[in-house]
Amino acid sequence: MVDAKHTASPMDRVWNFFTSVKLAIVTLIVLASTSVVGTIIEQNQPPEKYHRIYEDWAFALMDRLNLFDMYHSWWFLLLLVLFTVNLSCCTIDRFPKMLKVVRNPRTKLDESLEKTLSLSDRWKKKGSLSEWTERYAAALSSSFAKPRITEDGGVTHLYAEAGVASRFGVYVTHLSIIVIFIGAILGNVFGFKGYVNIPEGEEVSRVPVRGGSRMQDLGFTLRCNAFSLETYPSGQPKAYKSDLSVINGGREVLRKTIVVNDPLRFNGIWFYQSSYGQAGGATAQVAVSRRDGTPMGGLSLAANEPVPIDGYGIVRGVNYDPNFQGNGPALQVVVEKPGQPASSFWLLQSRPDLDRRRNDALVFSFSGLTSKMYTGLQVAKDPGVNVVWLGCAFMVIGLVMAFFLSHQRVWVRLSPGADGRVDVVLAASASRNRLAFEKKFEKILTGVKSEGK
Amino acid sequence: MSNVILFNLTTVLFGVASGLYLGALYAKNGKIAVAGTWVCVLAAVVSTAALGLRWYESYQMGIGRIPVTNLYESLVFFAWAVNLFYLLVERKYGSRTFGAFVMPIAFLTMLFAVKNDSSIQPLVPALQSYWLHAHVITCFVGYAAFAVSAGVALMYLLKSKQEAAKINAGVVGLLPGCKTLDDLIYRSIIWGFPFLTAGIITGAAWANYAWGTYWSWDPKETWSLIVWLVYAAFLHARITRGWHGTRAAVLSISGFLATVMCYLGVNLVLSGLHSYGGG
Repeated sequence: MVDAKHTASPMDRVWNFFTSVKLAIVTLIVLASTSVVGTIIEQNQPPEKYHRIYEDWAFALMDRLNLFDMYHSWWFLLLLVLFTVNLSCCTIDRFPKMLKVVRNPRTKLDESLEKTLSLSDRWKKKGSLSEWTERYAAALSSSFAKPRITEDGGVTHLYAEAGVASRFGVYVTHLSIIVIFIGAILGNVFGFKGYVNIPEGEEVSRVPVRGGSRMQDLGFTLRCNAFSLETYPSGQPKAYKSDLSVINGGREVLRKTIVVNDPLRFNGIWFYQSSYGQAGGATAQVAVSRRDGTPMGGLSLAANEPVPIDGYGIVRGVNYDPNFQGNGPALQVVVEKPGQPASSFWLLQSRPDLDRRRNDALVFSFSGLTSKMYTGLQVAKDPGVNVVWLGCAFMVIGLVMAFFLSHQRVWVRLSPGADGRVDVVLAASASRNRLAFEKKFEKILTGVKSEGK
Repeated sequence: MSNVILFNLTTVLFGVASGLYLGALYAKNGKIAVAGTWVCVLAAVVSTAALGLRWYESYQMGIGRIPVTNLYESLVFFAWAVNLFYLLVERKYGSRTFGAFVMPIAFLTMLFAVKNDSSIQPLVPALQSYWLHAHVITCFVGYAAFAVSAGVALMYLLKSKQEAAKINAGVVGLLPGCKTLDDLIYRSIIWGFPFLTAGIITGAAWANYAWGTYWSWDPKETWSLIVWLVYAAFLHARITRGWHGTRAAVLSISGFLATVMCYLGVNLVLSGLHSYGGG
């Protein structure tokens, strides 16, 4: 006997290497074990952080092996490419063979096939071969599936099958992985991920792209009208809300309040609530009125910023006390009028009329501190994401086909016996779940045997 | 809170069931094992009621959410799933000896659970999504199937040693035959694998909807992929290269160790985006 391996050409050997399931198992295990590394070494941290944890030589070595961003390193990508090539070659190698088998099933139960089937039974019947062929074909149809009938030299073969789709399950699953990878590549090439902070009342039309210095033009303007934070009675955060407007061609075309798990989408670009914070220092809100009570509007005083009032003077908020002499929040204000010494006084939030005592032309009342917030948004455009979901759907369908369907085949052979009776052999096989199929086999057998009793 | 009382009762019942199954093996008394089954059924009823009650109580508190969102809840949900999966296996295979190897997993899980904070906390904004339900349920059905597979794999290793020595005595002698055990290791995994896959996919879909990235190589995601790869290797080895018996059993146990790392280890040892753990 000639060993196929020794006579194979170099090309065949390469092909055999890439079509072997052994390679697939090794790749799966290597991918699994190397993936562990990146969960132990925190990924994509600033270099100073790594220098604090590791010795210089260890840092240099790990940096060299790309261990600080290992899932995007050349060697990890190479492993994924090897995995994909292996997967594709296995499919190219095996799929046509499988298709051929499915298209041209062995419809005749010959001796060699019979030997390989563990589920079989044989009996004899009086009567004509054609009569029993017809009867058994009908019985098989009702208890299992409609059989194909083949005649060969006076012997009749019945062949019936169910669950052929199960043979395709593995290919659908493998294809799904390739589809997911294609989707991921599309997203990486044609999409972008960014992050932007927008202070309340401000707008952006370009966002910085993550992991680079590039700015991405949105093609429209996004404004943050307001940000708010809701809490549970216990003080734990309940919702982060950003009131956003999309401005396109000079007018507002879309307005939506987004929360975590409910993003805004415009022109294929998604905005996700991600974080928030205080934009700049707090400002004190001060209402101004004339002595007769006519309201003059409000002032927004940033710490120590002078705010002029026409025909009056300059007002500054210089100090804030959350509990001024036990009277609650208060603001210290300095007023400078032309040609007069500056005067300083406190405004209590709880007593808006207190300032009337000053007997000045204007009365100030402090209505509280407000701080301007900014909202932090993840920005993403991923034209490949639907391809990824398509691949995921294929994967689930493929797995269900592969694991929960079984290709079941039943053969019946009728041949003229030596004693004038008809020799009958019934045999069956299932590609999966043989224990369960044994019970089904018994049922089929009883169904067929009870025919003509 | 009454749900916690019911969960404590469940813990006791799992303990009793484990004891009965183990006792039945030692005493070689089938009647004791039957009692074990009934205790498991009772525990299934009590724990299901407890989950329902906890869900209801969360609405009473004005929080209103599915009870699978912190370490305590995920552990009791896992034990609940293991118990149900086990009862199905027992019914299908008609053997009660599995109980001695599987029910202690549920019992130990509950013992670990009752050590954790059992109060009902409101959901942080990141978890307020319908994806939560699909994601957690699919993942935990998968985990439960892998737990059963690993328990059976342990039985296999004990049994095969004895079968090799051609003795059929003692406790191990009562275990189902190697062929049945080997089949069940595989059968549990082909249930667990599609559920784990669906769990990873629903997690990715959720992440994409919450953060705009379906995969970011965070430790939890990566470990779920590691688990997936180990079982994928198992299935290829089994189906195409005929790995049966000891090698398959060892792979099943390693797969479950990776599952435990993914489920608990990542939260207790590593940092990441998933909230339970640490508590």
